[in-house]
Amino acid sequence: MSVLSFQNISKSFAKKRTLDNFNLTLEQGEVYGLLGPNGCGKSTAINILANLLDPDSGTVTFNGLPHNRQSRRCLGICPQEIALYRDLDARENLSFFAQLFGLPRPRRLSRVTELLQLFHLEQFAGIPIHALSGGWQRRVNFAVALVHSPQLLVLDEPTSAVDMEARHELWHIIEQLRLQGCTILLTTHLLDEAEHLCSRIGIMKNGSILRQGTVLELLREVPALAIATIEGPEKHCLRARAVSLGWQMRSAAGKHICLMPQTQTLAQVVQLFSGLDLASVTVQPVSLEHAYLEVIDGWQAS
Amino acid sequence: MKPAAPGSTLTEIMSQTWAISARIVREYSRQRRNLIFWAVFPALMLLLFASIYLNNAGTASSFDNTPAGILIGAALFFSCLGGTVSLIVTERERRTLRRLLVSPLHPAAYFLGVTLACCAVAAAQTFVVYLIAWLIGARFHGSIALGVAIIALSVCAYVGLGFFFGARFAKRAEDVNGPVAALGVPLLVLGGTFFPITLLPAFLLKLAFLDPVFHMNQALKRATAGETWWNLRASLLFLLAFAALSILIGIASYRQMLTEEKRA
Ligand SMILES: Nc1ncnc2c1ncn2[C@@H]1O[C@H](COP(=O)(O)OP(=O)(O)OP(=O)(O)O)[C@@H](O)[C@H]1O
Ligand SMILES: [Mg+2]
Repeated sequence: MSVLSFQNISKSFAKKRTLDNFNLTLEQGEVYGLLGPNGCGKSTAINILANLLDPDSGTVTFNGLPHNRQSRRCLGICPQEIALYRDLDARENLSFFAQLFGLPRPRRLSRVTELLQLFHLEQFAGIPIHALSGGWQRRVNFAVALVHSPQLLVLDEPTSAVDMEARHELWHIIEQLRLQGCTILLTTHLLDEAEHLCSRIGIMKNGSILRQGTVLELLREVPALAIATIEGPEKHCLRARAVSLGWQMRSAAGKHICLMPQTQTLAQVVQLFSGLDLASVTVQPVSLEHAYLEVIDGWQAS
Repeated sequence: MKPAAPGSTLTEIMSQTWAISARIVREYSRQRRNLIFWAVFPALMLLLFASIYLNNAGTASSFDNTPAGILIGAALFFSCLGGTVSLIVTERERRTLRRLLVSPLHPAAYFLGVTLACCAVAAAQTFVVYLIAWLIGARFHGSIALGVAIIALSVCAYVGLGFFFGARFAKRAEDVNGPVAALGVPLLVLGGTFFPITLLPAFLLKLAFLDPVFHMNQALKRATAGETWWNLRASLLFLLAFAALSILIGIASYRQMLTEEKRA
């Protein structure tokens, strides 16, 4: 059964359409990643789910029923910005929110201790949030969303501004939560994060999801099996050669991106461009980044 | 994973009220600025007025009344009104208000929690002010219950107004102190906080009757002198009505702010 479903949600701010017939369904136990450029409406969708915004039209259902005050209790939300009491420490913040969710005292104490351990926060006992670094504040921000063991966890860019090590730790926590049966909706700008964590990914632009599926399904959006990225001074000749090979061309950061219908080795590609001045050539399989750029039409005009 | 089973609404509101007030008191205790403004400032004022009044045979008896004015006019005004305004603004600015909106927090529990926290702060301030006053030699001659009732009504009035100003007018933390001081100090002076109202010219006295701080001060000063509930009924009724009105206005503004926050 689907846990959450957005049906034809539209929302405008000052006549600008931020969500445009937004549809999304989450199945129990999946980790769904919402990708999309800045301002495409990811946080707006989350705010509607959290009842922080009213949609102009459309409905949200939770476990098949209209989403309401009662079902919002099953929701844990980690907002994109840090929203904590800065003069209190991590334990006090967690304990406060656990109390609002009505956890009885013994359960509250054990849950808070459990979360402090899970996020390695015990070392900061007595240190107010404002004295923690941004990355540690982010971990507390994340932990607060878990105090009431929600059925659906919503993470809005949970790992932005944390270091590599912490990111891997948070990924590990998200995986553990998934194994415990928690359904997770997360937004991110990090494609490797989405690839690593998500069982399904939706790519958004201008307020609606353009394509969604597993990573493998999304990779099929790119009409190629492998990508050659080529740099060199003779731009037009490089391009003409690639086109003569029947390859489609894209461009990113001043480089030629060749969509190759078959896999080729680096040596084969260099051979195919022999006689031309090449500054650099790389060959790689199609990745989520290519699929993302292909779907949102984010390549540079060449 | 199953969410916590919700208790009955009333027990839940009570537990949330307690959580809110405990959190606020804990935050206050960490903020040195509050300690200075809410305890050191009234204590200094008290010492200052003590040295003025007690130095002068003609005014020495007025010193008994001084703690009442300092407490209601200066201490409670800044902690309960100014404190509530800045609490609400900070909650909005730090985005914790949105987190509260996502939680099952009952709006009534928030309002009650803030009021309870202000009562706790007010109790501490009352203790500090009266302890110092007593050590210097001021005496409270009236009914303690009456004194407590007047202080409680004043706290409620200030909290209600704090919600009103915080929710309707102050958008950022920088907006708080200016208006609170600009609006507050004239009201406090007119309300006879710092000197006996006999010093007010007739036209200002008429104006002072419209100033709620005036009634709070007068009620507590007269209670200090030993006047009874019955003698003070007019002031008490005014205070009761004013406190009720400010709470209603405060609740209405808070509810409007929550609706606006959803649209913001
Ligand atoms: N309360 C609001 N009032 C006016 N405009 C808003 C409001 N909230 C969002 N918007 C606008 O809606 C658009 C989408 O914003 P949203 O925060 O949903 O984007 P996002 O996909 O989360 O972006 P990012 O990746 O930068 O977090 C933006 O253009 C934003 O300016
Ligand atoms: Mg966002």
